[in-house]
Amino acid sequence: MSNPLADMEKPDVIFCIGTNMTEAHPVAATRLKKALARGAKMIVADPRRIRLAEMADLYLPIRVGSDTALLLGMAHVIVRERLADREFVATRTEGYDELVDHLQEKTPEWAESITGVPAAMIEEAAILYGSSDKAAIYYTLGITEHICGVENVQSLCNLALLTGNFGREGTGVNPMRGQNNIQGAGDSGALPNNYAGFQPVDDAANQAKFEKAYGRKVDLEKGITKVTALEQCGDGIFGMLIDGENTVVSDPDQEHCIHALKSLEHLVVIDIFLTETAELADVVLPAASWAETDGNFVNTERRIQRVRKAVEPAGEARPDWWIIGQIAQRMGMRGFDYDSAVPIFNELCELSPIYAGIDWDLAESGQYQWPIPYRGHPGTPRLHEDEFINGRGKFSFTDYRDPAETIDEDYPLWLTTGRRLESYHTRTQTGRSEGINDLLPEETLEVHPSDAARYGLHDGGWARMRSRRGAVDVRVQTTRRSPQGTVFASFSFADVPINVLTGSGYDPITHTAELKVCPVHVESIAEGGAVGAGASKVLVQNPPGDLVGEPR
Amino acid sequence: MNATMSDTKTTRTICGYCGVGCSLDLMTRDNRIIAVHPAFDGPANQGALCVKGQFAYDYVHHPDRLTHPLVRDGEGRLQKASWDEALQRAAQGFMDVEQRHGRHAVYGVASGRTPSEANYMMQKFIRVGFGTNYIDNCSRA
Repeated sequence: MSNPLADMEKPDVIFCIGTNMTEAHPVAATRLKKALARGAKMIVADPRRIRLAEMADLYLPIRVGSDTALLLGMAHVIVRERLADREFVATRTEGYDELVDHLQEKTPEWAESITGVPAAMIEEAAILYGSSDKAAIYYTLGITEHICGVENVQSLCNLALLTGNFGREGTGVNPMRGQNNIQGAGDSGALPNNYAGFQPVDDAANQAKFEKAYGRKVDLEKGITKVTALEQCGDGIFGMLIDGENTVVSDPDQEHCIHALKSLEHLVVIDIFLTETAELADVVLPAASWAETDGNFVNTERRIQRVRKAVEPAGEARPDWWIIGQIAQRMGMRGFDYDSAVPIFNELCELSPIYAGIDWDLAESGQYQWPIPYRGHPGTPRLHEDEFINGRGKFSFTDYRDPAETIDEDYPLWLTTGRRLESYHTRTQTGRSEGINDLLPEETLEVHPSDAARYGLHDGGWARMRSRRGAVDVRVQTTRRSPQGTVFASFSFADVPINVLTGSGYDPITHTAELKVCPVHVESIAEGGAVGAGASKVLVQNPPGDLVGEPR
Repeated sequence: MNATMSDTKTTRTICGYCGVGCSLDLMTRDNRIIAVHPAFDGPANQGALCVKGQFAYDYVHHPDRLTHPLVRDGEGRLQKASWDEALQRAAQGFMDVEQRHGRHAVYGVASGRTPSEANYMMQKFIRVGFGTNYIDNCSRA
């Protein structure tokens, strides 16, 4: 996030797009509710009439995958209505004149023709966002999990740059990160393009710096992404070490994913349960869980916080850092004989300019948000206050593209996927929590009543849903939360493996999969439960739901 | 850590679910979590927790937890193994792959769920071990 979580209580206008915050980030949503109680206005753009949409002053029901068009239409209106912040544009940005030219044709009527949102509502949203003093944008994977995820984010930045909504309280462009330490994973250098602290690997100075620290010269060329690595399994990639990811259930195109992992000569998985992914491994190593380990998590506002061991690890389980260090030492690597998490974190801080001002002991307080460039620096709750990292903020000349697959006669409905409040990701954890299972015992397909009637489905009955990659059987829930023509399911349940269906494409720059758009066909069936019916290989021997108690 | 009752321990930590990073106190007794209390001085949550953070902790003590290493045997089955045997097998496998296919044949996937120290070790393992940048985390899917 460009701004701290505390700023969520401060905007005059809140613009939420592609975020189901009350379910996926419920505690952050409580802070937005405080802003609303204070009188802030909220615009929500989402294909589904989610809870946040019900709370909004203005709800824009966009067609899945049409975000860029909506945002370009809004930018057109902001320019046309002279709502741009002239001083901010003049002193902090570049490319404004080209942007104005670029936006000529991107009228609200043009945006309506793509998004399905009436032009008058697009105008209203643009004027509301553009005329407020403090407007903040919040987004989640509904923006990034598209083939045009980068254009979506750039289009959001255009709006904030046009209106001067950066670097001040209650403003900004704020992605909500989904996992407890997904920010820390990037910070720590677990990326094919960056060393720790986002230092590019293709910079020779960085290569030299890390050669000195690590005693080994690392390629100047970027590595490949996980998406590409999975494509190359058995044809270039033959060994893989996976730590704490249930790739088989979370990734798109499950059949492809299982085939890829089975093509490896050597797969080692570190995890706390025998996940569907671990079941494919040659070696499975038991990790200490969240409550059993010391370390640091970095949250969505870049805050570094200590996680502390409260109980001893189950059985012989060991901390992930210890396990990885042991493998390394047995391969003859030097520099891996750490005796605790402390020197590891301190090494990360020493090598990362954004962490240069802290160490393990200073991180104890949980008060630091990076960048913390030197000792004594208080941290940076709000980015871009005086200038952008590269000096000026650059406008992007984005354009709308269709999703990788669009609906047709064979696959006439849009499927969009997401999260539910009571489950977390592939349920390896929440699926083993009794009370949570009472709240959410099974997956359902959310279908608008008129679509249900059209396709012969009924509430509580079963549907077989097919895409170009496979099929799953799922119980039907009729609801007006889904718009006509679009159905929704989460990917959380291994016995309703929605990611058998997804995998139509990914963003060419980030390689983030288009998990939010998948054309499907649905039909009524008498009795469901055939796992991945129609998909040739779905190997889910132990869905977590079967392990936690009697069937419901 | 403060003792609130003679046999109950309190540990301040951070929720392990989403990226908001709520502070909470884990109440433990006899090496088991017995309750989660939201932290009112938590900078991200100010005393709030969601249903997952408040209640979904019993997986930590679930009988399905992996409690020992597993190694695939000659018949393709995962069998219980000692740490020494499993680590040796893990290490040897990567060395064999590198010898057969070169150093760009090994890939690492780090976790968005583990602490930063684990992520740092994963990237260091790949970069020091193979001299490549064949490392990613699970943020793309």
